[in-house]
Amino acid sequence: MIDQLFGFLDNYMPEVISVVLMMSLLVAESAVKDEHAPRVKIHFFTQAVLAVVLICLFGNLGAKPVHIFHNAVTIDPFSTLVKIIMTIGTMGAIFISQSSKDIYSNLKSEFMVMSVGVLIGGMLLASANNMLTLYLGIEILSILSYVMSSFKREDSTSAEAGMKYALYGGLSAGVALFGISHMYGALGSIQFLEMMEKIPTLQGMQLTTVMMGSVLFFVGLGYKISAFPFHMWTPDVYQGSPIPVTSFFAIVPKMAGLAALIRVSNVFFADGSVLSVSWVGLMMVIAAMTMTVGNVTAIGQNSVKRLLAFSSIGHVGMMILGVVVANEVGTRAILFYGITYLFMTLIAFYITSHLSDMYGSDGYDVFRGLIYKHPLMAVIMVGVLFSLAGLPPFSGFVAKFNIFNIIIEKKYYGIAIVAAINSVIALYYYLKLAKTMIFGQADGEERVLGFTPANQAVIAFLFIPVLFLGIFWEKVMTIAGNATIYIK
Amino acid sequence: MNGILNWVLWLPIIGAVAVLLAPKAKENVIRMITLVTTSVTLLLTVLLYLKFDTSTADMQFVTKIPWITQFHINYHLGIDGITMLMTFLNALLFFICTLSSWTVEKNVKAYFALLLMLQSTVFGVFFALDFFLFYVYWEVMLIPMFFLIGIWGGENREYAAIKFFLYTFFGGVFMLIGMVALYYATGKGPDSFSILALQGGHFVKETITLFGYTLSFEHVFFWFLFLGFAIKVPVFPFHTWLPHAHVQAPTAVSVILAGVLLKMGTYGFLRIAFPIFPQAAVDSSTIIAVLGLISVIYGAFCAMAQDDVKKLVAYSSVSHMGFVMLGLAAMTSQGMNGAVLQMFNHGTSTAMMFLLIGIIYERSHHRWIVKPDGSKGYGGLASQLPKYTTVFIIGMFASMGLPGLSGFISEALIFLGIYPRFTTITVIAVIGLLIGAAYLLWMFKRMFFGEPNPDNHDFDDMNAREVFYMIPLCICVVVFGIFPSPLLNVMKVSVGQLVDLLSKY
Repeated sequence: MIDQLFGFLDNYMPEVISVVLMMSLLVAESAVKDEHAPRVKIHFFTQAVLAVVLICLFGNLGAKPVHIFHNAVTIDPFSTLVKIIMTIGTMGAIFISQSSKDIYSNLKSEFMVMSVGVLIGGMLLASANNMLTLYLGIEILSILSYVMSSFKREDSTSAEAGMKYALYGGLSAGVALFGISHMYGALGSIQFLEMMEKIPTLQGMQLTTVMMGSVLFFVGLGYKISAFPFHMWTPDVYQGSPIPVTSFFAIVPKMAGLAALIRVSNVFFADGSVLSVSWVGLMMVIAAMTMTVGNVTAIGQNSVKRLLAFSSIGHVGMMILGVVVANEVGTRAILFYGITYLFMTLIAFYITSHLSDMYGSDGYDVFRGLIYKHPLMAVIMVGVLFSLAGLPPFSGFVAKFNIFNIIIEKKYYGIAIVAAINSVIALYYYLKLAKTMIFGQADGEERVLGFTPANQAVIAFLFIPVLFLGIFWEKVMTIAGNATIYIK
Repeated sequence: MNGILNWVLWLPIIGAVAVLLAPKAKENVIRMITLVTTSVTLLLTVLLYLKFDTSTADMQFVTKIPWITQFHINYHLGIDGITMLMTFLNALLFFICTLSSWTVEKNVKAYFALLLMLQSTVFGVFFALDFFLFYVYWEVMLIPMFFLIGIWGGENREYAAIKFFLYTFFGGVFMLIGMVALYYATGKGPDSFSILALQGGHFVKETITLFGYTLSFEHVFFWFLFLGFAIKVPVFPFHTWLPHAHVQAPTAVSVILAGVLLKMGTYGFLRIAFPIFPQAAVDSSTIIAVLGLISVIYGAFCAMAQDDVKKLVAYSSVSHMGFVMLGLAAMTSQGMNGAVLQMFNHGTSTAMMFLLIGIIYERSHHRWIVKPDGSKGYGGLASQLPKYTTVFIIGMFASMGLPGLSGFISEALIFLGIYPRFTTITVIAVIGLLIGAAYLLWMFKRMFFGEPNPDNHDFDDMNAREVFYMIPLCICVVVFGIFPSPLLNVMKVSVGQLVDLLSKY
């Protein structure tokens, strides 16, 4: 009995540690006497524990897949890799939050509590092996996210962001649940494997019900990953939230949502499934619209934060193209994309955060002439922008190449052309920002205070994967390729 | 000798790193590092030329290292006769540009580092025998160019830099789709990205479905690649980025742009589009010829309408590259040889023109033949600047294609090659030559003859440095104008192989 208990704990360790961490953070916060005291020790503690989580996750990467809690949760290499991405994203966001003025000093440890909570929800979502766990994951993830987005209490846009997010999110979760109930009605199970086995036996009306159910279910996930037409909340929430929260949102809930979408697609719509044809069509339209709307709207933005928000919608569109191909190759492409996107997003938000703290704005103006004030930071930011645009020799290019690779393998040339044109649109607004930094003349010579040597070192460190994964990407592709999905 | 291409390719990068490590204040050290790097690179390419075996069309000095084994992507380099000419041109022009950039004072370190990076990426495009590697270099090349135009360019540099970048990138992404489609058409085998293995017309019978229509794989992706290369050339109607980029770019970058970068486009046709999709190339030759013809005539008329001498030469590039396209469309031995020769000759003659304009710009800080207010920009330079005028005459006549200078032979070969296939087009294209002579002579008259402009009386003639870097170009246009066989011998076997392939379709 005890053996059994601890046997599964081995693989479940990251989640357990995260939950313990969240609890201890709550206790630790209550122990802080001076409300405005910097939470330096708590920060170090959190990062250290998250590092342990990360080590555990890396240990799990090569392990055999296990299914626990009566197969409600599956721990397979796929979910583990997604968890690794999310954990690094969380650590990065927490690190930004420490120096960011956007998060009030008395809320810094609350931010840690919440983000670890979202991380736990995301882990559950990535590992979900039945509809109920999946729904639980979405809810854990969402409720804490609503709070995080309204962190700037005195700022009305932040309050609006939280409100908007909560309303939309609540609605979408409800619709998703409605969809799940349809699926349950038609299939008689919420367990992925049983649902998967039942699908080929369905006929006529039952198929329609499942299809309708999955579309409704997609509404819920679509909100989480801000896919068209459920992306409307994204810019406002991203704008209203403090920058560390925005960067966190751009990575963790998004990766979790994508992971769930991939898994569900593999259950219901895997190659050869009766439902796959209509699903592929739907996903293609959604992907095309998502990237087009995201990229076109990004052009007109005056705030860099909003620009990054819209560009993240564009990137989600690209990643959904990987879902269109519901097989290992598609999964590999999305995972690789996720890994590279993680580092690019962190750096972009990191630099934006420091500049907006310094100047009290996140418009293009604060970036003007950055090359003269902080050559290193400007060069890195330009590198990241080029990488986001998908230019070699940066990792974003390889991510884009992989996506093109899978859709062209399936001979979906039309969507490839849409994606190609979108790359050009995206390049335009990235160039606009790069231009401001490099060609513009700085107003003054003052140094940006946030860029301490330590912060610069962290940014430079995060840039290493952006640079090297564009040239030496074989190893990471292998890791992403080995991250297989096991449904039981 | 097999590793020599690696040296040629990576030496500029090593130089760029050295430049970046050098102290910022020591500007002359930075210039010297660049000069040494580009001279050694030039010497290496001369060595390549001497060791080059002109009797074979096979790739020489081949280096092949596995890069991404999952996708069978290799770091695969090699050169044939066509590449040899482009390699030499690239090395020569960067050496000259280093000297001509001696007077750059804004952010010297970044400038020379980017210049060297640019040289390396251009070599990469020419050497790559792996399509993926080719694509990577093709796109990376945009980054140094973007900064070189955007930081050191003229008043409207930002617009020009972005337009150049977007245009080329637009063509590039279509090339990417074509490249990946080829990878799957070959069955993901070990040679899927090898340009040499893809050559030979393996895809004639395949079909694809695009937006519900069943189309020929070969034709669709030929046009995808065509788009990528044609924008770079630039062929009408994809030429609109070029005048902006040229006018705004600093002198050395204009020289590189017209001298080598445009050739990457036509090189792409020769190395990739034509040999991989020969059937589509033959079927499309009329369209290519017509587009080439429009470029010739339209470019020439645009040049004639310019009051800005640099813009004039920029449009003349559109016109002259149109001749290259005509030569390619001919798909005969003479036409193709003429096209490749014209690529080299246009590289040297147009480089001369841009350098000369740069020299006069340094003195007058404008480039107006006639200023916007209607007054004379220049005038009577011939009596003031004898050395400058002499070199200008050589460059201008070479550009015009006067017999005895380099442009003549290549244009004559192109006309000989294309006449049997497209007689009408040939006849109309000849008018392009006349217009070319007209606008160049008219420009010359307005700049060099007549009363000297009083504003210009204090101009100095060319100094020793300027004369020094003009000499190699003068030698090129004069010697290869009379005696082109050193160039023709190098490339003819390689060109012959391509013509043989195309003649089967």
